[in-house]
Amino acid sequence: MEKNRRDGSFYINPYLGGVLLGLVLFATYYITGRGLGASGAVKNTVVTTVDVIAPAHAEKSHYYSKFLNENSSPMNNWLVFEVLGVMAGAFLSGTLYGRLKLKNEHSPKIKPRTRLIAAVAGGLMFGIGSQLARGCTSGAALSGLAVLSASGMITMLGIFGSAYLFGWLFKKLWI
Amino acid sequence: MTGPLIPMEMIPDAWNNVIAVLLGMAFGFVLEASGFSSSRKIMGTFFGYDFVVLRVFFTAAITSMSLIIYFDYMGWLDASMLYINPYYVTSAIIGGLVMGVGFALGGFCPGTSFCGIAIGKIDAMFFTAGLFLGIFIFSEMYPLIETMYNSKNLGGIKIYEMMGMGRNIFAFLLIVVAIAMFYIAGYVEKKVNKVEY
Amino acid sequence: MNKRYLILAIIAVAIGAGILLLPENPRDRELSPADLLNAIDDPSRFLSTDLITDRLVKKDPSLLLIDVRPEAQFKMFAIPGAINIPLDSLLTPSSQAALENKELDKVFYSNSDVMADQAWISAKRAGFEAIFVMKGGVNTWFNTIVNAAEPSETEPSQAFALYHFRKGACQYFFGTGETAAPVTEAPKKPVSLTPRPVQSSSGGGC
Repeated sequence: MEKNRRDGSFYINPYLGGVLLGLVLFATYYITGRGLGASGAVKNTVVTTVDVIAPAHAEKSHYYSKFLNENSSPMNNWLVFEVLGVMAGAFLSGTLYGRLKLKNEHSPKIKPRTRLIAAVAGGLMFGIGSQLARGCTSGAALSGLAVLSASGMITMLGIFGSAYLFGWLFKKLWI
Repeated sequence: MTGPLIPMEMIPDAWNNVIAVLLGMAFGFVLEASGFSSSRKIMGTFFGYDFVVLRVFFTAAITSMSLIIYFDYMGWLDASMLYINPYYVTSAIIGGLVMGVGFALGGFCPGTSFCGIAIGKIDAMFFTAGLFLGIFIFSEMYPLIETMYNSKNLGGIKIYEMMGMGRNIFAFLLIVVAIAMFYIAGYVEKKVNKVEY
Repeated sequence: MNKRYLILAIIAVAIGAGILLLPENPRDRELSPADLLNAIDDPSRFLSTDLITDRLVKKDPSLLLIDVRPEAQFKMFAIPGAINIPLDSLLTPSSQAALENKELDKVFYSNSDVMADQAWISAKRAGFEAIFVMKGGVNTWFNTIVNAAEPSETEPSQAFALYHFRKGACQYFFGTGETAAPVTEAPKKPVSLTPRPVQSSSGGGC
């Protein structure tokens, strides 16, 4: 049976994807002088939310106040717009290849609820870690590696090393 | 037209956000098309059944690194103006380790989780919610770890400087190592049990 | 499929080999002679002693004052807050870190302008940015700040403000016994806006 390109199972060749991603990353550096990022946008959203709900607390806090600015909202930030683009682009790709579907993806060996709990826990740890390392895999590791930044490489090694170790610890979640 | 364009003021600032969206769209499209919207596919790298993360990540890194180096040599890009994130030793290492735990639990990273959300993955949405919570917790906890967070700033130091190597030899070695990893990955994939996802 | 990957791998290694052949230090690109001459002509590279003093008093974190005289002279007297990079070790790797930081304004000074200017030209040619010369050097600094001349009555109010600023700065650096009240406006003494009667005692001379 011929595999239909649009049935959701088709992925482009990873090396091709890598080259394309490399081109996008290079274009980003060439045009803006900075790399891509993702966690920064989430951080700005958190800062804005706290500022809206409890402005006095936000101003007093050592962390939030770093990103607050009299003239403009933290949401008016390059990364926030970039992330909106990411979602739009991914949506396009999903549409093109037939992968648009509401789904809770999990290993058949665990319950869906377990997966969701693990997802939140994972996001929580990642959120904390990304602030400590001042970046995530896209911002620190990938963009950092492209400009040969030491911080980028160390963070990348930390992420992948730790993920390998803990991956095997949490093996049941995946295989 | 020497790059980087915006810092060199070749493009008016007002275009900044438009460009951000466009580049983001390209980013998101490539990620999703390569399969980074599926947490089980991403985790394949850590169990050996699908090394897509390794392949895309390192290919992208060496591609953009090589382009930057060549463009800088040709004078089309001033590489010294590119932003290098500062290396805060303790904070970076601990942050990386913590993120690894998050990766192993959640199967996503922020960029890929947005791709997942865009195509309707519920686990990606929960992961992103977790991100918010995590960042919020960090911000509230900040005074406790503030000293550590700001300690040992080595500045925008490069990998090869830290290792005492020249830039070109390091770049070359990185390419060679990446290719070696790709070959090993292919070999491992053949030996590992197939996983349906 | 395998053969295709092999070809790609070979291309990648070839690109890497190409990188190996490139000049090592990306900063090997020197400023062109024409650009250098233009930069030398630009008067904004000179900063006055008063401006530097003001920034020192305000503890401006973006200022890096660099004394390019030999170490012995630096030890005898230096402007407070300056670091010492003797002219002959200006372009060594250890000084590079200080010069490279684009966030800081690096201001060279020496006894007058000669050595500072030489330092500036060397650094400019090597491609460092945000570099300046403190006009007049230590000599002018000393003569204006430490030995500030009290203006005569006929001078405009700005001269008095400047004088008090300099006295204040001197006291800030060296804590002389005199008190110099910080002045935000000229003293109340009426400075001649009313026309004086033409002939009368202007004292001495004709």
